[in-house]
Amino acid sequence: MPTNAVEVTGISKRYGSVVALDAVTLSVPEGSVYGLVGPNGAGKTTLLGILAGLRSPTDGAFSIASHHVSVLPDTPKFEPWLTARETVELSAALGGIQAPADAVANVLERTGLIDVADRKVSGFSRGMLQRLGIAAAVVSRPGLLLLDEPAAALDPQGRREVLDLVTELRGESTVIFSSHILDDVQEVCDEIAILTRGSLVYQGTLDGLIRDVTHGYTYRIEIRGDAGPAARALRACNWVTQIKVEESVVFVSADSTVVLESELVPLLADTGVPVVSIGPIEQSLEDVFLDVTR
Amino acid sequence: MTLWRVEWLRIWRTRTVWILFGIFIFFGVLGPLTAQFLPEIVERAGVAGEIDLPPTSPELAMSQYVSNALQIGILAIAFIAATALAFDSKPEIAVFYRTRATITEILTPRYVVIAITAVAAFASGTLIAFALSTVLIGTPDALATLKGSALISLYIMLAVALVGLMSSLISSVPGAALLGIGTLILLGIATMVPYVGPWLPSYLVGGFDTLVAGGEFDYWGAILTTVAATAAAVWASTYLMGRREV
Repeated sequence: MPTNAVEVTGISKRYGSVVALDAVTLSVPEGSVYGLVGPNGAGKTTLLGILAGLRSPTDGAFSIASHHVSVLPDTPKFEPWLTARETVELSAALGGIQAPADAVANVLERTGLIDVADRKVSGFSRGMLQRLGIAAAVVSRPGLLLLDEPAAALDPQGRREVLDLVTELRGESTVIFSSHILDDVQEVCDEIAILTRGSLVYQGTLDGLIRDVTHGYTYRIEIRGDAGPAARALRACNWVTQIKVEESVVFVSADSTVVLESELVPLLADTGVPVVSIGPIEQSLEDVFLDVTR
Repeated sequence: MTLWRVEWLRIWRTRTVWILFGIFIFFGVLGPLTAQFLPEIVERAGVAGEIDLPPTSPELAMSQYVSNALQIGILAIAFIAATALAFDSKPEIAVFYRTRATITEILTPRYVVIAITAVAAFASGTLIAFALSTVLIGTPDALATLKGSALISLYIMLAVALVGLMSSLISSVPGAALLGIGTLILLGIATMVPYVGPWLPSYLVGGFDTLVAGGEFDYWGAILTTVAATAAAVWASTYLMGRREV
């Protein structure tokens, strides 16, 4: 049975009458990249703040398997008069790691900062600060790494670099990655939790989410002429979980792609309707997210 | 790299050390010069009427230094202390420190390094004023100067601690500095209250002039209060900052 890096049980956080988190319960598997998804104000930063020990929950409890947690805020800032190398050295020392010079250089190399390692941080761009934040966070080899919107507001190249770095961390640390950029989450995360207005509305794998919310896997069938006979034939099948007709197009869903692949084409052939095209619909996380948070 | 080294780098690279030493050394030079040349300055300024000026003396030179330097010096110390101690004013930097070290580990080097720098800057100004006074006017009482400087040093340490306390109540650098200065001003006014006054920290400021002028050492009450208040302010700021959510 896989162990969990983080267990959150019924955590709530209230600021006066405002409920920032409402009885959130979730588990983060060890070594995974875990996406914390939700619109702005959903409670993602509050939950990360609680896990980082920066805020106290009003109710509930949580446990973290590792004693070593690193945090990267959404807009990391550092002492502007320190150099990048000094910042990483300080982070290592405070993390209880006597990182030798080559270990610090290695982290700076990985994050693409080795050429500016001895430059003061005051002149760094937003993307460079984000990479420095990751360098400072990973140098002390944390068991749990909390990344709050690490790619938000970065240009496409900066975003690509940050996502690649997060992907490289898989297996080294457990990463909780908060974001409202769903493409990023879809790309790097193994499991996700969706928060909206402080409540957890989904937790699990991306595939599971898409399957659960869209009633399984969906195919799009375009018929020449009237789609009625095809729709009637499909409705009679017990493996169909949902059916939707839009003029000459039929959307049909089932619990498994195997059933759709094996049953759909013979059925349409039996009905004799002229089929223009047939194929699966790729559900994006964004479509599903909008359904869940609506 | 340690938090102690970071604090020494802070005062060096942010030019804090130059600002503080610059202020106190400037007034260390100005004090004896104004004491020596005050009659000429007044005459050349063309001030009408008869002005009763105090006689030029080493005591006057040292008194001029302390009264002028402390006004600007405490202001500068308060703002510089707030820059380091109100670190929650920049939440992203606060997250960096707070997730890697305890509040005591973060605050201790900040308090100590700022207090040492401020006291050293004051001492350097005192040394300059003493030397220049010796050359221009006459030698002030060295032991009294030493004792008076010790009293002012205690007052400076209290000022740093008060700014630290204000930093735990308000997450703003100017806010913490101004609240700290406001508290010191109120303490100064309270010194005029009979019986209570000699027990208050601000009473130490007047001690420098009194001792250099040959007065008796009667400051144990104020010393006790200042040391206790400094320790209490440091403890309270550590406690309150530890409870603050970022």
